[in-house]
Amino acid sequence: MKPIRTLLSSSALLIALLLTGCNQSTSDEKGGAGSKKLVIGATMLSMQNEFIVNVHDEIEKKATADGVELITVDAEHSPLKQVEQVESFIAQKVDAIIMNPCEVEASSPAVAKALAANIPIINVNSETSAKPSAFVGSDDVESGRMAMKFIADKLNGKGNVVMIHGYMGQAAQIKREQGAREVLKQYPGLKLLAHQTGEWDRAKAMSLTENWIQSYGSQINAVFAHNDEMGLGAAKALTDAGMKDKVIVVSIDGIPDALQGVKKGALDATIFQNAEQQGSKAIETAIKAAKGEAYEKQTLIPFQLVTKANLSSFLKP
Amino acid sequence: MKNGLPPSPSKTTLSYKTRFGRLGQYGLLIAFLGICLTLSLITPRFFTVQNLMIIVTQVSINALLAFGVTFIIITGGIDLSIGSMVAVTGVAAASFAHPDTYPVVVPVVIGLLAGLLFGAFNGFVITRSHVPPFIVTLGTMTIGRGLALILSKGRPISNLSDSFNFIGGGKILGVPTLIVILIVAFIGCSVLLKKTVIGRYMYAVGGNEQAARASGIPIGKVKLVVYTLGGLLAALAGILLTSRITTGQPNAGQGFELDAIAAAIIGGTSTSGGTGTMTGTLLGALLIGVISNGLDLLNVTSYYQEVVMGAIIIGAVVLDSMNQTNKN
Amino acid sequence: MIPQAYILEVTDLTKTFSGIKALDAVQLHVRKGEMHALMGENGAGKSTFMKLLIGLLTPDSGEILFEGASMKATSVHDVLQKGIAMIHQEMLNVPELTVAQNIFLGRETAGGLFRWLDDSNRNKQAAELLAHMGVSIPPDTKMKHLSVAQMQMVEIAKAISNDVKVLIMDEPTSALADAEVTILFGIIRELTQKGVAIIYISHKMDEIFTIADTITVLRDGQYIGTHPATDLNENSLIKLMVGRELDRLFPESTTPPGAEVLSVRQLGRKGAFSDINFAVHAGEVLGLAGLMGAGRTEVTRAIYGLDPLHTGDIHLKGQPVTINSPQDAIRLGIGYVSEDRKQLGLIPALSVKYNITLGSLSNHADGGFIRSQRESTAAVDVMADLQIKATGPDQPVVYLSGGNQQKVVIGKVLQANPVVVLLDEPTRGIDIGAKSEIYKLIHELKASGIAIILISSELPELLGLSDRVLVLAKGKQTALLSKEDATQETIMRYAMQP
Repeated sequence: MKPIRTLLSSSALLIALLLTGCNQSTSDEKGGAGSKKLVIGATMLSMQNEFIVNVHDEIEKKATADGVELITVDAEHSPLKQVEQVESFIAQKVDAIIMNPCEVEASSPAVAKALAANIPIINVNSETSAKPSAFVGSDDVESGRMAMKFIADKLNGKGNVVMIHGYMGQAAQIKREQGAREVLKQYPGLKLLAHQTGEWDRAKAMSLTENWIQSYGSQINAVFAHNDEMGLGAAKALTDAGMKDKVIVVSIDGIPDALQGVKKGALDATIFQNAEQQGSKAIETAIKAAKGEAYEKQTLIPFQLVTKANLSSFLKP
Repeated sequence: MKNGLPPSPSKTTLSYKTRFGRLGQYGLLIAFLGICLTLSLITPRFFTVQNLMIIVTQVSINALLAFGVTFIIITGGIDLSIGSMVAVTGVAAASFAHPDTYPVVVPVVIGLLAGLLFGAFNGFVITRSHVPPFIVTLGTMTIGRGLALILSKGRPISNLSDSFNFIGGGKILGVPTLIVILIVAFIGCSVLLKKTVIGRYMYAVGGNEQAARASGIPIGKVKLVVYTLGGLLAALAGILLTSRITTGQPNAGQGFELDAIAAAIIGGTSTSGGTGTMTGTLLGALLIGVISNGLDLLNVTSYYQEVVMGAIIIGAVVLDSMNQTNKN
Repeated sequence: MIPQAYILEVTDLTKTFSGIKALDAVQLHVRKGEMHALMGENGAGKSTFMKLLIGLLTPDSGEILFEGASMKATSVHDVLQKGIAMIHQEMLNVPELTVAQNIFLGRETAGGLFRWLDDSNRNKQAAELLAHMGVSIPPDTKMKHLSVAQMQMVEIAKAISNDVKVLIMDEPTSALADAEVTILFGIIRELTQKGVAIIYISHKMDEIFTIADTITVLRDGQYIGTHPATDLNENSLIKLMVGRELDRLFPESTTPPGAEVLSVRQLGRKGAFSDINFAVHAGEVLGLAGLMGAGRTEVTRAIYGLDPLHTGDIHLKGQPVTINSPQDAIRLGIGYVSEDRKQLGLIPALSVKYNITLGSLSNHADGGFIRSQRESTAAVDVMADLQIKATGPDQPVVYLSGGNQQKVVIGKVLQANPVVVLLDEPTRGIDIGAKSEIYKLIHELKASGIAIILISSELPELLGLSDRVLVLAKGKQTALLSKEDATQETIMRYAMQP
């Protein structure tokens, strides 16, 4: 039901943005006056997203430990805002910038501006088309491959799959779909029965799956959801319809709720994306770059497949 | 659908415009049945008891919100904060709904209470200040979203008790609880609107606030009541959503206010206030749900759904304006 | 006087709505420079006729000749271009724009960019125009700040400023006080001398005979006849209009006034009125006279709790009362019929029934639940008592005629069992038949022991109905006249006092 929202919300959003425009938080208020303390600015896609919050928590932890002043701002999904935030970092003459990009293209000007101002900029978690000083993240195409490969193995290369997309056009959605389709091509026996967006949302994915169950019933053998929220929504719909034990559900991210889901059997697998490592590597690289030391241009944190078999090593006590 | 909408005018004043406007009242029903019929012909999976139940289940949360919005729009107001209220109340309820902590009534009561207070706050500010509801609720929309994030520390609250999850996910005699609650709420709201003094006052306030005041109607009280009702229904929706997806999400309900407003408008509630019915709103919500379900069944991409939904809203508003023109 | 050529000739004009003839073979012949009155009760077809003339509706058959050529009107704009303008009964203006902007509305760009008028120029032109009319309204005031009378004057100025050949005026004086009417008539005479033909619709007999040259009468959509004004008198005209002789308009008062019901002392409201003292008794009609802006409406609004009072106190049956809102007033037994029934009287989209019971709904409800049966019975009774003509209690009140709408408002007020009723211009914009019914009704209320405060700008009406008359001038009370002392002359004298 997104259409209505889009149709009616433009004016509301505009004012809402004005109202919520300035929520900055500084993690370290001690701010050594006159000292040569490093200052790093971080702009995050959305602090309402659990995974992003986890990445940020790790950045913050490490910054505090290393005595770096960290300025965090929330781009609230708006690339325009993100570019402005980076401009403001440049004006504040921070030593390095960590950006968790909102969009591949629209966030790119931020990279160009930072580089032009000779401030190193590190992209974390997702990419921009402009090449930053360094990239820390995981290869989303790989996660899609892993998820679909898991399904292919479980079904012995034969069966019907449905796929629930994230927001159409976002980097993660595009790459996860790309990876999944690569695997589908290798297995002619696997058929993509239907695919539709669930907008990263649990309730939407649940409704979508309910409708698919009506449409395809027992023809569905497996569900691949682009994130765990949607995977859990699909699993709920299947459980309610009494079909869960016959359908494989795999999703991506490895959020705590999903790990619980694997434990309970709601999810057959989740592809763990390591927020902690992304965060810590990002701040490490940023500090090195700020100090002028050598650093990795690209750090890829591998995804890990989580099933019941290896669950225990991911569950935090 | 009689209450609030003008019944047939006298023979002598019945122009073609009036007749056409009257068609507007039934136009929605005709459109709805037409779409159902078409879908039934295209796919055999549409017109099954199970699928119809799923549609109503999926529609129920939006419908509950739309009922609240209908009260508010009838008085000539608007509430943009209901989506945020869904999140606040859902998170508040979820915080008390972990297994082996409190009995299930506790999260429910806390959620409803949160919605009641939030709605009453909206009503209080709107009646006390002379700031338009659009602005006030735009502000509380943002406040509510922030509160939900604060309460949940930005993370979903999961691991909820089975009894709590039953509220929005269970079945009573084979009928999903959501449908049962929807029917009860629909009857309650219809009775309130049609059969009570306060309901009549809502129409009067929206129809002509000055005249209502001069007729001795307590305008402030009426507005306070409608916004509180809006909050209460949003809380009910928030609790049910949380229960249905078995997790309290701080970013739940984003944009729900616009879906709800759309359902009310499609259902014939005039944005200028003074007219509208619960039956119309329910039909509006069902129409949105049927189209969404039908296009999913046909595996049409959601892009087309957006176009279709937008066209329907415009169509509904055009019908409404025809009704208005023929009144003047 | 040499008869001028006909500028407008209408023959056999017919218009049908849903099979019912609203106009049936109507004739109208208007000469240049003629003041032509169009008379008829509400529902006689005058409005439909005028809508056909100005192009809002298309006739089924018949012919309209304008300056000898057949006029096939396609749009209002078209007709306006030809030189036919209308001053509407329902004032159509843009409240947020200034007086000058409203006067020149729609003509800002008519001559292309080079004729664009800047605001100061426009204000100057408007000021001249208004001054010429003898009205003092600052041209840069926003319309929403004007009184109804002032808006009317602006409407007239707007029409005059167009180069009109035929000017249609629909009840132009309904909101004007006598002094302003005199000004208007001066303007009208000037226009006719310049050769402008005027089609004048009014329910006020005295006006018609003061200024009309010719009178055309319609009844039930039929053309009744056209007569020189000198051939008719008030009674013969009413007979033509209603097709029967009316009873005497103002019934003789028989009941003597009873005990004091409402009294006010030193009533004052900043910027509106001050030091108002009067008492009104059971079964008495106290008339409030004064020019526009004298503070009559403001006094009644304040008593009813619509506006706050700054000084003074109100006693009801000897007890001091505080009234902070209409709710308080209604609870205490004060009823109010506003001069502006569209704004303050009715909820247009609601039915006749719902409007009637709106102020007393709790009487028809148990524990907040409306008892539909009881409510319907009450509404049907009121409709029968007041002879409200509607298709039924469920008809939306917006479809009713002005007179019937007014009766709905009065019915609503009476439902709350008031002891005092404030009537502000209760007969504005309603036809003579409905007027006499309202007069009768006022009389019945009086007889039942209700105290009435009546505001009317029509002095004959005020004098005919009131037992005493309180005259206000510029927010001050200048006289309290007994029935014997109250004449048009004395009232005017006190009303004009500084």
